[in-house]
Amino acid sequence: MSASQSAVRSRAEAVKVSRTFDWLILFTLFFVVLGGYHIHYMLTGGDWDFWTDWKDRRLWVTVAPIVSITFPAAVQAVLWWRYRLPFGAVVCILGLLLGEWVNRYLNFWGWTYFPVNFCFPSNLMPGAIVLDVVLMLSGSMTVTAVLGGMAWGLLFYPGNWPIMAPLHIPVEYNGMMMTLADLQGYHYVRTGTPEYIRMVEKGTLRTFGKDVAPVSAFFSAFVSILIYFLWHFFGKWFGGTSFTQSS
Amino acid sequence: MKLIKDKVTKLSFVALLVTVTAAMFYAPTASAHGEKSQAAFMRMRTIHWFDLNWSKDTVPVNDTMTISGKFHVFAGWPETVDKPEVSFLNIGIPGPVFIRQGSWIGGQLVPRSVTLELGETYEFKVLLKARRPGDWHIHTMMNVQGGGPIIGPGKWVTVTGSMGSFVNPVTTLLGDTIDLETYNLSNTYFWHAFWYALGLAWLGYWARKPIFVPRYLAVDAGKADSLITAGDKKVAMGFAAGTIAIVAFGMSSTNAAYPVTTPLQAGLLRGMKTLEMPARTVNVKVEDATYRVPGRAMQMTLTITNNGDSPVRLGEFNTAGVRFLDPAVHEDETGYPDDLLAEEGLTVSDNSPIAPGTSRTVQVTASDAAWEVYRLADLIYDPDSRFAGLLFFFDEAGNRQMVTVDAPLIPSFI
Repeated sequence: MSASQSAVRSRAEAVKVSRTFDWLILFTLFFVVLGGYHIHYMLTGGDWDFWTDWKDRRLWVTVAPIVSITFPAAVQAVLWWRYRLPFGAVVCILGLLLGEWVNRYLNFWGWTYFPVNFCFPSNLMPGAIVLDVVLMLSGSMTVTAVLGGMAWGLLFYPGNWPIMAPLHIPVEYNGMMMTLADLQGYHYVRTGTPEYIRMVEKGTLRTFGKDVAPVSAFFSAFVSILIYFLWHFFGKWFGGTSFTQSS
Repeated sequence: MKLIKDKVTKLSFVALLVTVTAAMFYAPTASAHGEKSQAAFMRMRTIHWFDLNWSKDTVPVNDTMTISGKFHVFAGWPETVDKPEVSFLNIGIPGPVFIRQGSWIGGQLVPRSVTLELGETYEFKVLLKARRPGDWHIHTMMNVQGGGPIIGPGKWVTVTGSMGSFVNPVTTLLGDTIDLETYNLSNTYFWHAFWYALGLAWLGYWARKPIFVPRYLAVDAGKADSLITAGDKKVAMGFAAGTIAIVAFGMSSTNAAYPVTTPLQAGLLRGMKTLEMPARTVNVKVEDATYRVPGRAMQMTLTITNNGDSPVRLGEFNTAGVRFLDPAVHEDETGYPDDLLAEEGLTVSDNSPIAPGTSRTVQVTASDAAWEVYRLADLIYDPDSRFAGLLFFFDEAGNRQMVTVDAPLIPSFI
């Protein structure tokens, strides 16, 4: 076969090869994103995502969406502008959650015996689906950043509340009131994580009484918009070919 | 010759691979906490733990034990470590092999951080419930914000039984008793599986058709708009609407199911009750102190003045949890860890009773392998070469008096 000849000899064969490429690329993309995004999220979201006694109504709600919209924005940029594929955010979250569950189950529980009901990951899927849909329907990075980024921040807390609410039931414990999540943090000893490291319920957001979660979510949504722009550009640059030498 | 060289190279490479592979399969349990690696001055000049008691050596799963005792917050706290204004009474164990059912300082529960005062002594207790079988090294520990963990003495405790039988019942303020070990687990799995399945469905919708090569070619040819059909848009709108509806439904149904929830509790506890120590009637002045590296011994010249009304003798020097005793004066009967106890490690040049109203200058030597084993000898490499510790004096009736010492230390290498 000479260099000028095609590697395939029929349309059926071309379709078959194309599908094989699809699965190879999707498989690779999934695990590359899983690894990179997981490390990024552990380093930036870290303890807020690890432990139930960090998942508060102020800082967890604020920090987690802001630091997690990064990879979805970048992968969306590559898949949308190069392939018109609107599943960049969802594939990121599928990868991240798989990696997190493997980590929490095998490491946190399997190696160090922290109960899974204490160290499960946050749920980011609702925001990811809406982010992808907004990009698909609008075809606009700006609209996706504003509407999708807003939805990403706003859907985070209600998307997790069905899992977290049972752990916020109060307990009287030796003369002090705690939530069950607080009690988990107290009972299941983390030698390297003293209580004062826990960044929860801090800040000056006191004028809204008990309803601070929506305010935190709006702030988070606003910053998520900005972060979306930034990382979308990263993705666009990374998905381009300007840095390769033209033949 | 070359053949032999090649063979040796190949075999060496194979041996290296086998070694690396074998090492990967050997992962012994980490049972201790690097307590010997912590800078010596951190252990000698911050928190002094004493009168420690581990209530049991062996505990079945679900049974409890306590660690109790006292700690003195050293007045000569090093400048290089933040003051213990935000501190947390922790416990040094390898993960949650026990659960911490309670911890108290001066009788007050301390699930949160506390403020400690320099120069004060506190009583503490930690109640532990055995969870995972094994032999565990259990340390007292004080975490200090800006200072790090300050680890205290540790003792081996054996947990017997099966972790499968461990339960952690808790009664909520709503009157329900739950097992915190497994509570909310099925709910967590359900919601995560549900949303993961929805995400997979979205991905599957797009992956059912050719994904990368034809779409790339179409985009490249300027036909990108043809890749998203009207049907695709309807499906997408369905996904988005469904997602928002499920989130809203989940939120409202959860609020209905759990009408009473409270935020996480946080905050600093101040005003910890200190322990009233007996009035000090013995004064000690450190004239000089040297650490003799070859002899693994610290020598101090002390001028001791007894202002009390009964004769006293020096019975113990305690630093970094290592106890040097003069057996003629004081013997340990608490089952203190052997490796931290130098039963005959304290020598005083003249340890006859010091009469009331008199002073005496004596040579005190604290010698034991513990200086090396616990890496306290590394003190000579610290940025502020000082030593510190507790001296315990005893009168004839067995009454004890604690005196702190803190002075420069000169190493001696010959």
